[in-house]
Amino acid sequence: MEILDALMAGFATAITPGNLLWALVGCALGTAVGVLPGIGPAVAVAMLLPITAKVEVTASMIFFAGIYYGAMYGGSTTSILLNTPGETASMVTAMEGNKMAKSGRAGAALATSAIGSFIAGTIATVVVTLFAPTVAEFAVKLGPPEYFMLMVLAFTTVSAVLGQSRVRGMTALFVGLAAGCIGMDQISGAARYTGGKMELLDGIDIVLVAVGLFAVAEVLYAALYEGRTKDTQNHMGRVHMTRLDWKRSIPAWLRGTVIGTPFGCIPAGGTEIPTFLSYAAEKKLAKGANKEEFGRQGAIEGVAGPEAANNATVTAALIPLLTLGIPTSNTTAVLLGAFQNYGINPGPQLFTTSATLVWALIASLYIGNLMLLVLNLPMVGLWVKLLKIPKPQLYAGILIFATVGAYGMRQSAFDLFLLYGIGLLGVLMRRFDFPTAPVVVGMILGPLAEAQMRNAVSIGEGSWLIFLQRPMSLTLIIIVLAVLIVPRLLQRRARA
Amino acid sequence: MTDPSPMNSSEPSFPPDGAESTIPGARLQTVVGAGVLLVAAGLAVGAISIPGDAGYGGVGPNFLPWVCALVLALCGGFLVYEARTGGYRAMAESSGGARADWSAAVWVSAGLLLNAALITTLGFILSCTLCYVLAVQGLRRAAGQAGARAPRTWAVDVFTGLCISAPVFWIFTQFLAINLPGLTGTGWL
Repeated sequence: MEILDALMAGFATAITPGNLLWALVGCALGTAVGVLPGIGPAVAVAMLLPITAKVEVTASMIFFAGIYYGAMYGGSTTSILLNTPGETASMVTAMEGNKMAKSGRAGAALATSAIGSFIAGTIATVVVTLFAPTVAEFAVKLGPPEYFMLMVLAFTTVSAVLGQSRVRGMTALFVGLAAGCIGMDQISGAARYTGGKMELLDGIDIVLVAVGLFAVAEVLYAALYEGRTKDTQNHMGRVHMTRLDWKRSIPAWLRGTVIGTPFGCIPAGGTEIPTFLSYAAEKKLAKGANKEEFGRQGAIEGVAGPEAANNATVTAALIPLLTLGIPTSNTTAVLLGAFQNYGINPGPQLFTTSATLVWALIASLYIGNLMLLVLNLPMVGLWVKLLKIPKPQLYAGILIFATVGAYGMRQSAFDLFLLYGIGLLGVLMRRFDFPTAPVVVGMILGPLAEAQMRNAVSIGEGSWLIFLQRPMSLTLIIIVLAVLIVPRLLQRRARA
Repeated sequence: MTDPSPMNSSEPSFPPDGAESTIPGARLQTVVGAGVLLVAAGLAVGAISIPGDAGYGGVGPNFLPWVCALVLALCGGFLVYEARTGGYRAMAESSGGARADWSAAVWVSAGLLLNAALITTLGFILSCTLCYVLAVQGLRRAAGQAGARAPRTWAVDVFTGLCISAPVFWIFTQFLAINLPGLTGTGWL
C-alpha cells in the first residue's frame, strides 16, 4: 500500500502540464535520435546536460528519461528499415526485422516491435515500482566494501563480457578510470594529472567524453571511411499485424520480458546478452514453418522477443542506477552525471531524501511508454521521413549540437579542443575494435569506486582483508571471479 | 544452447567477397599497443608527483593512478604481443571502406578546430556556421558529390548552417539561460 500511495503521489507530480510536456518532448526527441543514424541517447542526454543549470531537477530527469527509452523505440525503426543497425541494442532486431522488411513485412515488424516494447517496458516498470524500494532498503545495509565489490562487478561485466576481446575491454576500462583520476582528488584534495592547467582541476566532464567519443568520433569516422557507403532503405508498407502475427508475438513478448528484466536488475550491464538469449530461445522454440522463416523471410518472433527483452532490460537497469548509484550502460552513466549536476547522488538514500523526484520519475515511465506507443505506431511514417536527411548535412549539423553541449557546460573554449582530441581517440577505438562503453562507465563510476575502496580499507584499519571478511563482499568477489573465468572454461570445453 | 551471438566467436569476421579488409594491419596494431604503453608510462610519471599520504586508510590518492599505469602497461604489452603474433584476436570488420579519405577528415577537423579557436571572438552563431560549412564540405567530398565545390552549394550550406545555429543559440540562451558566447552582447547575435 505504501508503494501505491507513493506511486500515486508520483503520478500527481508527473501529470502536471509542465512535466507532461517535458516527458512528451523527451520521448519525441528520444525517438528522433533513435531513428537518426550517428547519434544515440547517451550523446543526446550528454549534449543537453547543460540545461541542468536552469531546469528544475524533476522536470529535467523526466525529460532525460524520455530520451533514454524513446531512443529504444526509434532505434528499432531504423534497424528494421535501414540495412545498417544503429546501435548494438537493436542488432538482433535488425537480423530478423530486416529480413521481414525485405520480404515486404516491414509494417508487421514495426508494429510488433513497438507493441512489444510497450508491453515489456510497462511490465518492467511495474517491476521497478515493486522492487526498487525493497532493493533500496536492502542496499542501506551495504557498507563500502560491498559497494566497492558491486562496482568491480559492474566494471568486470562491462569490460570483459561486452565486446570481442578482454584485453581491449580492459584497456578501454582503465583508460576511463585514468581519465576519472584527472582533477582534484575528492578525499585528500590533491591535484592529479592536471599538468598545472586550471581547466583540468575540476576534472574532465562526462559531457566531453560522451559527446567526443560518440558524436564527434562518428562524424570524423564518417568522413574518413564511410563516404562511399550507400544505405539502402526498405519499403515500409502499412503498419498492421494480422491475427496470426498477434498469436505468434504475444508469447514472444512475454518471454522476452522475462529474459530481459533480470538482466537489467543486476549491476552487470549491456542489452547484448538478453537480446541474443531471447533470440536463441525464440529460434529454438519455433516449430515447423515458423522455424523455417528464421534467417530467410524473417520470423516475427525473432523481432518480438529481442525487442521486448531489450526494453525490459533498459527499463529495469534503472533499479541499479536509482538504488545503488551504479550505471551499467553509456546512457545510464550520463544520467548519473545529470543527477550529480544537481548534487544528488543516486543510492539507497534516494528513496527517502528525494522521494518526490524518484516516484515522479517512475510514474513518468508509465506515461512515457504510453506516449511512445502513440508516437511510434500511428505516427511512424513521420519519423521515417527523418531518414531522408542527407548524411553530410545531418552529420555536420550534429557538430553544432556537440558544440552547445561541450561549451555550454563550462564556457571554456579549451573544452572544444579537448572534445576534438577525444573525438580522434574515438575514431581510433572504433577502427581498432575497442569497446567504448567501458571508458564512459569507468570514468563516471571510477571516482565513486575509488572513494568506496579507500573508505573500506580505512574501515579495515588499513587491511585489505576486509573484502574477504564480510560475507556479502566475499560472495561478490566469487561472482566477479566466476564472470571472468567461467566463459573461458566453457569456451575451452567447447573446443575440446 | 545454441549461441547465435557473433560476439563470443573467436573467428574473425570476413569482408564480403572482393572487398579489402578494414582491419588495420599488424604494424598499425603494434603502434596502437605501443601507444597504450606510452600512456601507461605517462600515467606512471604523473603518479610520482601525486602525494601518497594515506591518512588512516592505508590507501592514498596515488594508489588508483599507479594501478591504472600498471594495468595499462600490461594491456599495452599484451596488445603489442598480439599484434606481433598474427594480429589482435577476434577483430570485427568495421563499417565503411578499407582506405581512409584523409582530405575529407582535414575539412571536418578544420571546422572543429577553427570553431574552438574562434568561438569566443566570432560568437556562437558565426563560428558554428563556419564549422558546419567546412564539415559539410568535407563530408560532401567524401561522398563524391559532383557539385560539392560549386558556389551555389557553398551558399546553400552557409544558409543552412545559419538556419541551424541561430535558432539553437536563441533556444539555449533565451529559454534555457545557458551562457553561449555572442558576437554582440545582445543575446541575439
